[in-house]
Order: sequence, then structure tokens, then C-alpha cells
Amino acid sequence: MLAETANETAREPGSVDYRRLVEDQRVHGSLYTDAQVFDDEIERIFRCGWVFVGHESEIPKPGDWVRRTLGREPVIMVRAGDGCVHVLANRCSHRGTMLCWQDRGGGRRSFQCSYHGWVFSLDGKLRSLPGKSGFEGAMDALDLARPGQVASYQGFVFANQSGDAGPLDDHLGPGGKALIDRAVELSPVGRLAIGGGWIGQRVASNWKMWPESDNDGYHLAIAHASLQKAVPGTQYEAALFSSELDNTSQARDHGLGHVELELRRGYDRELAWLGTTRDKVQGYAAALEQAYGKVATDRILWDGPPHALIFPNLFIGEMNLAIVQPLSVDETIHYHTPLLLEGVDAAFNNRVLRQSEAAMGPASFFLPDDAVIAERMQQAWRAGRTTAHGWVDLSRGAGREQCDAAGRVGHVSDETTNRGFWRHYRAVMTAKA
Amino acid sequence: MIGLSAEERAEIEAFIFREARLADEGDYESWEALVTDDMHYWVPFGRADYEPGTRMSYINDNRARLATRIRQLMTGHRHAQTPPSPMRRLISNVELLERAESEYLVAGNFALYELSAQATREVRLWAGRTTWRLRRTPQGLRMCRKVVELVNSTEPQPTLAIII
Repeated sequence: MLAETANETAREPGSVDYRRLVEDQRVHGSLYTDAQVFDDEIERIFRCGWVFVGHESEIPKPGDWVRRTLGREPVIMVRAGDGCVHVLANRCSHRGTMLCWQDRGGGRRSFQCSYHGWVFSLDGKLRSLPGKSGFEGAMDALDLARPGQVASYQGFVFANQSGDAGPLDDHLGPGGKALIDRAVELSPVGRLAIGGGWIGQRVASNWKMWPESDNDGYHLAIAHASLQKAVPGTQYEAALFSSELDNTSQARDHGLGHVELELRRGYDRELAWLGTTRDKVQGYAAALEQAYGKVATDRILWDGPPHALIFPNLFIGEMNLAIVQPLSVDETIHYHTPLLLEGVDAAFNNRVLRQSEAAMGPASFFLPDDAVIAERMQQAWRAGRTTAHGWVDLSRGAGREQCDAAGRVGHVSDETTNRGFWRHYRAVMTAKA
Repeated sequence: MIGLSAEERAEIEAFIFREARLADEGDYESWEALVTDDMHYWVPFGRADYEPGTRMSYINDNRARLATRIRQLMTGHRHAQTPPSPMRRLISNVELLERAESEYLVAGNFALYELSAQATREVRLWAGRTTWRLRRTPQGLRMCRKVVELVNSTEPQPTLAIII
């Protein structure tokens, strides 16, 4: 906790007027600092809404499990003996002891509580407990708690705890699904292999600065000037760093809070996103062509992965997946893992992993600069509701934004993405329960 | 350090302390002059018990990537080190692990206090174990590998934009 941060004390649920604080082109800075806002978000976005949990390929074998946190709720994502993936509360139904305290593991046939030895099967059923005769009545209510809804799309597992968020399909919408499809189709067999490990960066900032910063196309040439100077000629040169008039990348709002920096329109060559050329990855290109045909292969090799937020906590950051994990109103963890593919050779995935080590994480070439800037913002908004002229301006490009079949689109350096995030945020935060 | 002459021991200690001071003071040009062309600088996730590159590490720099890291720090635009963090590290429990004809494998524990002067202005404590592979060259001792295992390496880390 930061000694200097003066967080505002929590008021009451329902006391924050989100319609007033979130305008179309500006939002109030207290949304980063108000503890009541944070509590409201945990409830409405992270408990009542769909959030990303993990990818099924992280737990390829029965008995494999990983730990995650949905909002504040600790959960286990586990593959049971029948191959089904379950998301379970990581908390014994007896006295509440955490069942799994490491990050991941495998080979489990059950979870046993370390306190009184209650045993749960991998689908969360209470299977046995010592001294059963002392308990009266049915034990069915003592299965592990679980989110009300769990569903997956292309192996991406989402959950909502309340159980009344509607179908996952409606949350993702055609825009969200298309973004995920574009990541998955990079694999010639249409499957990801998310097993490179997650690295977490701890940041003393509000979580919303990450969906904003990850999809901000305006800051690159300034905030990441040191990278551009140290490594000229990266894949970002044409698609992100080039001047406003030269750059043909776009900022997109797909609706439902899913927003994208559409770099594929700004790349100056195919495979720019992998920092290579077709002759160096001939086997990959051939495998794609066999799977999808020549036309689709040419498109995939040019377009590469998306650079996009799936609202609220999944960032498909080109060849990385990232999870934005709120801890408190001014503490966040930005986790990332490389977007490794099935059906490619080891050299290909090594390249992806090496890129990921360079781009994200606390010692990488990009993210530390974003982290320091987010921390500077958090410090500067400390006065919260009493901040002088306390509005965040998000008007850039509002006048030249266009609508097309996929949503709203602007120049990559326009705040179309940020406005899209906040527009959906307002809808969620003001929805009738 | 058992297995070393008094001269060798003094030379190795002097190298390690100099390496630490140059890193603490952000004298990257002098620091970079201490490494060989095949330098590997590694900060693993968890223990250093896996092949780097097979899963994610915090830092996994070959010589080229280390050069990039230092170039970025020296641009003057690396916000994560603007201003540079004031810091000091203590190194202790230094032991010789192995010696070959022209190389020494040396390890020690460290505690590093860093003021994150760029935004939060808190003092961060980094602690762990460093393993150095040092090589005798015509220019004197040089470092060909530095591995830093943080005690909390499995936990999310704050910005680590320094040479640790």
C-alpha cells in the first residue's frame, strides 16, 4: 500500500452516479481512486459479468489445475477425469480454508483440505470427510461453491459468479468472437498451447488504466520513445510509431467494451507481427496453406494476431495473452503469457516466447514504461472527487470517427478504443440489477 | 572461498563488488565492459532449474538483447528509470562453486534497496542469490553469465528496469 495515497473512504452501494461521471468524451478521475467505485466494479463487472478465467490448453490433462482470481474470489480451474473443465471456489466448504495455495499443479484426483481433511472430487463434489457420523442430514449443500455460469469459446474459459449474465455468446458478440478467432486461426490446427507460464507485473495503479493503456495508440512514440530509439525497425515502426499522416492503422470499438488497435492495416509487410519473413518460416506457411488454402494463408500472414481487449480483463496483445487483475482501487497485477500455438515447430514457439519476454513483464522493454506512467496518473489523481478540473479527456478523434458494419473506427491514435471501453463501462455500471 | 588462492579470492571479490557498484550507480557503459561476447543474463521465474527460453523468465538476455537493454536505458527516455533509481546492494555468503581452467563459478546472496524514484517513491527490497560465471581473459576477469534467483520470483514483481 502506498503511504501517500489518500483513497477515498467507501460510501454506499448505489451512491455513485456513473451517468454523471462517465460522459461520451470525458470521464471523471475519481473513477480511479474512489474505493466505492472499486467495490461497485467488483460487484457489477467482476461478479455479475463474464470475466476471462484461463485457457483450456493450460490444463491439458485430467487432474491439471491452475489458480485464478475472479474479482476477489479465488478459484481453481481444473480438468476432471472425464476431460471436462470446471471452475471451483478455492475454498473448503467447511471452514473456508484455501484448498490450492500454489499457482498450478497436475496429477490430482481430488482436492483435500489441509484443516480437517475434507475431500472434493475434481468437479467440486464433497466426496468424503473424516468422522461423518457427527454430521446430520444431507451433505449436498457442502459441495464446493462455483460460479453461476462457466462457458468457453475456442478454449477461452469465461465465468460469471452471479449466474445471470446471459449467454457468453451475447457477452462476446460477433466482435469479441472474431478477435478470438483471429488469434486461434494462427495455429494451422486451430488450437492454442498456452503453457509458457504467466509473468505478473505489480502496478500501483487502478486496473482500468490497463485496458486503457494496452489499447492506446496515441502514446507509443512518446511513452515508448526509448524502445524506438534503442531498437529501430521493429514491427511497430509502421503500424504504431509512424507519424499520424503516414500511419494507416486503425482504432476500433467493436461494441460491448471489446476494443482493438487494428495494426494489420498499418503493417508494411507480411509477418511484421512476428518480426520475420516467409522464407524463414516456410514450414509454418506451408502448414497454414494446407489447412486453410492460399488466400486465407496470405491474409493470416499479413494480419497476424489482434491487439485487443476482451472486456473487462483479457488482453490479446498480439502474441501474448494478458489478464488484468484488480487487487484494490490502486493496485493491479498485469499477468501475461505467450500465445503459443499447436501445430507449429518448436522454433516458432521459441520465437513467440522470446518476443513475449521482450515486450511484457516487469523487466521488459515496453510494460515498465506503461507501469510508471500509470503510477504517475494514480498519484496525480489522489485528490479524487476534489481534484481540480477532475476530468480525463478522451475526445481525440471523436469528430472524425466513422461507423461501419463492425462498429466504430478511427485513426489508430484516436481515443476510439478508450471511448468504447468507457461507453460499455457506463452501460454495465448503470444497468438495472 | 575455499579452493582459491588469496590473490584469486581478492580478485574475484573485487570484481563482484565493482560489478555491484557500477549497477547500483547506473554506470551502464562501464558495467557493459565487464561482460564477454557470449554473456547470458538470466532472471528466472522460480528457481534456475529449467532451460531458459522453454518457459517465461523475467530476463533472459543473450549478448544482443543485453546490449538493447543497456541502449534503452541510455537513451534518456526510459521512463521506468527516469530519474534513475537510487539504490545500493549488499552481497554476502560468497562461495566458489566450481572452477575450470579459466573460469570460476561463484555464488552469493544479495539484498538490494531501490528507491522507485519515478512515481511511487517507495523503497523496494529485492533479495535473492546471484551466480556469476567469471572468465579469465587477457583484459582480466570478465563475466560470461549472471543468474539472479529472487526469493519471491514466483510472485508478481514491481517494475524491474534496473540491472539487478
